[in-house]
Amino acid sequence: MKLGKLLFKAGIRIPLLIWALIVIYPIIWMFLGAFKSNGEIFASPWALPKSFSFDNFILAWTEFNIGSSFMNSIFVTVLGTFLCLVFALPTSYAIERLKFKGSKILFNVYLSAMMIPMVLGWIPLFFLLLKFNMIDNLWALSLIYAVTQIPFSIFILTSFMGSIPKEMEESAAMDGMSPYGILFKIITPLVMTGIITVSIMNAVTFWNEYFMALIFLQTDESYTLGVAMDLMNKEAQYTNAWGALFAGLSIAIIPVLLVYAIFQRKIVKGMIEGAVKG
Amino acid sequence: MVQSKRQKQLFLLFCLLPTFIVFAIFTVYPLLNGLYLSFFEWSGMSGNQKFIGLENYKQLFSDSIIPKTIWHDYFLVITKVIGIMILATFFAVALTQLKIKEAPFYRIVFFFPNIMSVVIIGILWQFIYNPNLGIINSGLTLIGLEEWARPWLGSLTWALPSLVLPSVWAGIGLFMLMLMGGIMNVPKNLYEAADIDGANEWQQFWKVTVPLVWPQIKTSILYIVITTLNGSFIIVQVMTGGGPNNATQVMGSYLYQQAFKQYNFGYGATIGVMILILSLLTVLILQYFLKREKVEY
Repeated sequence: MKLGKLLFKAGIRIPLLIWALIVIYPIIWMFLGAFKSNGEIFASPWALPKSFSFDNFILAWTEFNIGSSFMNSIFVTVLGTFLCLVFALPTSYAIERLKFKGSKILFNVYLSAMMIPMVLGWIPLFFLLLKFNMIDNLWALSLIYAVTQIPFSIFILTSFMGSIPKEMEESAAMDGMSPYGILFKIITPLVMTGIITVSIMNAVTFWNEYFMALIFLQTDESYTLGVAMDLMNKEAQYTNAWGALFAGLSIAIIPVLLVYAIFQRKIVKGMIEGAVKG
Repeated sequence: MVQSKRQKQLFLLFCLLPTFIVFAIFTVYPLLNGLYLSFFEWSGMSGNQKFIGLENYKQLFSDSIIPKTIWHDYFLVITKVIGIMILATFFAVALTQLKIKEAPFYRIVFFFPNIMSVVIIGILWQFIYNPNLGIINSGLTLIGLEEWARPWLGSLTWALPSLVLPSVWAGIGLFMLMLMGGIMNVPKNLYEAADIDGANEWQQFWKVTVPLVWPQIKTSILYIVITTLNGSFIIVQVMTGGGPNNATQVMGSYLYQQAFKQYNFGYGATIGVMILILSLLTVLILQYFLKREKVEY
């Protein structure tokens, strides 16, 4: 019995180890590929690089526009995350704390928007932007990103606000603090954990977003990383710039890896809560 | 309270109105306008919209590619639900019930693909499937199964199934974590009681774990279905672009092709309406079938 249990435990580790390998190996392989020359990649794609030179990174950053795309991605990520918070925080507060007529309905409207496929909306959105001359505009893309994440952010923020005690706001109101003061000076600091969770989730989403950027951006100079890498990948069929492509992918993934390393717990919590909405 | 009613209402408006306005402009209006556009023929030129009633819908039903795209989407839905649920449940049980010391390591590793960009995932897996450089073909050759090696993404039969593995790879972590959360909430004494009754691990899993974790299982399945129907075209677009010969074309990628490549914006919108209706219907039907009496012991 004892021996059987021991064997069983060893056996259960085999699939775990295999899956861990399947997850890690392609990522490591991508980083290694970034240091290889094209010749090395073709000769033995799975071997270690002969030397660790950063040529591919420099090439990707300068020649393949990864540098400017990186900056564009930072821009839309930061602005989108900030705008989303500006929109979602006051509404979440109103829905959760100022029980007004129709607050439940409004909450459900936002909630149901999370279930609806937005792909139908992209055609009219494209023409809306065209009309206001905002195609290829990173400000407009950030605004649209922010709006797409409003429902998710409201959903998470209201649940965080529901868990803070009411006494603080009540006594602040007694002291004559305006509702604006209560929202920004009392509530905002109290839900900081929620704000950080939501912002990390939104930032990761915006950083990785690809399809709206593909439709709403039109020139090399405004491409974000997703579009730039997709383009580079499709060009590489002809240019064979595989090393540079891997360097580009590595550059794109490093910020996500860092954020994940630092905020692993918060990301996991945000993802689970966002998914449980259904 | 000292504030006047008017002040309160102003504050309420301050909180709700700006958000609702941008939400209305960038989410509600596009969806409604998309529905409206589905009754027009339109190449995108301003002032050139032509009302054609249900013609787009008639075209939809006679378009021979449409049934393929629907089938491809549901193929991905079914294979992803099966693949992800089996693996995620197995990993969740292994990492919670079996007291493995390095469980946090696996948890962190398995979840990481969930926050990777689909573009990166798609490009990486393109290389894994690459006929000359890829690890799958070289692995098959290594173990003496050369005849199994093939140009996976270029094959009419194998391109679509080849998309399942990257999708499962990318999706498993989240659902594993959700199920782990459910399993950890199952009271320990239930397993002890089952042990005393002589139930083995397999019986305990089916009689104790599954019924009590059912809410999480249900949510996971629904979430996989929704995200696949609404987002499968991203991995398709990156890895195969719908090819070869529409063998991997899904509803979303076909919409993109019709609207933004061939400038049939009216017809594209019609495909969008179809996606909307199909995904809402699927979710409703699933919700009915996955309903179970709440179990309490």
